[in-house]
Amino acid sequence: MARESSFNKKSRAVLLVVLGLFSIGQLFPLVWLIDFSLCKSGDVYGANILKIPNPPQFINYYLAWRDGKIPQYFINSVIVNVTSVLLVVLFSLMMGYAFVRMEWKWSNKVLTYVLLGLMIPIHATLLPNFVIFRQLKMLDSYFALIIPYVAFSLPQAVFLMTGFIGSIPRALEESAIIDGCGIFRILFQIILPLSKPAIVTVTVTTFLNTWNEFIMAATYLTSDKFRTLPFSVYNFAGQYASNYAVQFAVMTIVALPSLIVYIALNEQVTKGVTLGAVKG
Amino acid sequence: MSKKALKVVVSVMLIAALIVSVFGLVQGNLTASASTQKTVKIKFLSNLPDRTSNQGKLEQMLIDSYMKANPNVKIEVEALQDEPYKQKFKVYVATNQMPDIFMVWGQPSFFLPVMKAGYAAEIKLDQIKGYGFKTSSLKDFMYNGKLYGLPRNTDFMVLYYNKGLFNKYKVKVPTTFNELLNAAKVFRKNGIAPIAINGKDKWILAILYQELVVKESGDQKLIYDAISKKSVSKNQILLKAAKDLVNLVNVGGFQDAFVAADYGAANNLFAQEKAAMYYMGSWEVGMAANPNFSESFKKNVDATYFPIISGGKGKKTDILAWHGGGYAVSASSKVKNEAMKLLLYMMHPTRWAKIGWQQGLVVPGQNWEKFMTGKETVLQKKLTQIFSSATSVSGTVWQDAFTPNFKTEAETLCQMLVAKAITPEKFLAKIEELAKLEVK
Repeated sequence: MARESSFNKKSRAVLLVVLGLFSIGQLFPLVWLIDFSLCKSGDVYGANILKIPNPPQFINYYLAWRDGKIPQYFINSVIVNVTSVLLVVLFSLMMGYAFVRMEWKWSNKVLTYVLLGLMIPIHATLLPNFVIFRQLKMLDSYFALIIPYVAFSLPQAVFLMTGFIGSIPRALEESAIIDGCGIFRILFQIILPLSKPAIVTVTVTTFLNTWNEFIMAATYLTSDKFRTLPFSVYNFAGQYASNYAVQFAVMTIVALPSLIVYIALNEQVTKGVTLGAVKG
Repeated sequence: MSKKALKVVVSVMLIAALIVSVFGLVQGNLTASASTQKTVKIKFLSNLPDRTSNQGKLEQMLIDSYMKANPNVKIEVEALQDEPYKQKFKVYVATNQMPDIFMVWGQPSFFLPVMKAGYAAEIKLDQIKGYGFKTSSLKDFMYNGKLYGLPRNTDFMVLYYNKGLFNKYKVKVPTTFNELLNAAKVFRKNGIAPIAINGKDKWILAILYQELVVKESGDQKLIYDAISKKSVSKNQILLKAAKDLVNLVNVGGFQDAFVAADYGAANNLFAQEKAAMYYMGSWEVGMAANPNFSESFKKNVDATYFPIISGGKGKKTDILAWHGGGYAVSASSKVKNEAMKLLLYMMHPTRWAKIGWQQGLVVPGQNWEKFMTGKETVLQKKLTQIFSSATSVSGTVWQDAFTPNFKTEAETLCQMLVAKAITPEKFLAKIEELAKLEVK
């Protein structure tokens, strides 16, 4: 017993050191980013890894805010992302239920078809989608982003949902039916609350993917009106001129929402991923 | 039960589809009603996303002043960084949706296919009479004797240096290659990086190689001819230049890990006075006035010719100069005349050239000497002097003079040469192989 506990102590210490180093490695880029976002642009490539900003250049944040058009892009990003996430959650929940619980002829084949979407590279779709959106006169609108975002997020979301819904005991639904529940009440009053971890996972993965997405936004949008946050970073970048400090300030601002979303929902995500993984 | 559910699902989807199409219609109507009014909408595709400094600032200033002078014209700018720009450009070309006016790189590797396919509208030479463009500057914007674009700037290579560091370590500013090698050794000894260079970007290495070829041969055409004729590997001058380059690497002429340094890294190293020299183009003219750099740096920064090589035939005044970015008007534009008017307005010598020069934003593609005010920074004066004393200029640099593929491969080979992954002999053999594949 005594030997075992001392071994435990040792391994605990090793574990702590390893995890500590790991978290430093993970957090350092963030600290570095914030540090240099407060320095002058010329300081970035100095001899020091970190530099105490003297005085802190808060003007970088002001410039980022003003010249990066952050308020406008931020609102666009929120509109596009919130709509996309809501649609993905709603569709994937409904589709997941339809694939796992409802019995219909093509169920398996359609599921495979939807999951095939996982393999389609975004770049192959840029041109055809551009042409389609143009003919539908939908270029340069929120829908030009929401539709492909939803389409690209759905396969993974459906994959997670089918796995998760499959793990919910059928008995719950059976008793609900006996109590006189219709299919939509089953879905929204029984399945929905039970699927919270899966829904959170879908929300976070969809959000993280679409929040930082640039190439589709750059292709389908032409005017400034609908641009999303990643454009802010690019507003300060050029081959011959780079105001690094302001770029860092922009990146800090842009990274914050994803960070907050992730920190807030982290626990649920872990749950959702593991529960979805052990589908019976 | 399930039939009812199916009905509900179908109707939900139908409603969703309806909403989407109604939105589409509304948007369509909005654009339709806008075009029935008399406002002219010009779409402007630019590669300058930073609208607050340098060229982007100048571009936006001119666009704003044009809209002020012509209230019925609305200019929509879409500005993307180089790589996304190229991507978007391809999308526009593929879907035949060219913006009314767009930025082009005046290099065969980019603009020639565009001109050949007829995407750009012709600019009549008498439209730009008195604009101060030299015929040589328009060469790469012409195809079959017709002009399709106008260049923005004059780009040429110089050696920037830090006077303070040269004084401190009692080093003479190099005028010959041997002096450059010796200076490099002294700076190395004192822990200063001799020349800051952005080796990760590759193109700079290809340009430096051409600089050495010119300084060895005194013949601006040599490298182009050798590649066109595919007789690269046996050429002793090309070999000597490749060896010079490796020599410079061997004495530690560049900063540590220069192969991995990007543009900002090299620039900042020099600007923080940790490197004595910086091999870069005239577009860095704004360094001397950049508020992000220290006063001591701005006081010390200066520029000179790239040194000559003893035994070589090149003069210091044989320089690498070309005209990179410029603008073209779409041939299929519905507002072609208005777009052309805008282009001519922007490139009028009293605008791009005069305002750009006097605000220290660019080195214009047109004659700028008549706009000198005497208040120029040291760099502005030095660069003017270097360019105006040039006895020969290169035109489009060698890697850009052929196909896009040639450019990529040749630049990679240059990087391999300085990283000593291949010998100078192997380097030339590979370039010859590449020429055989890519150059007809």
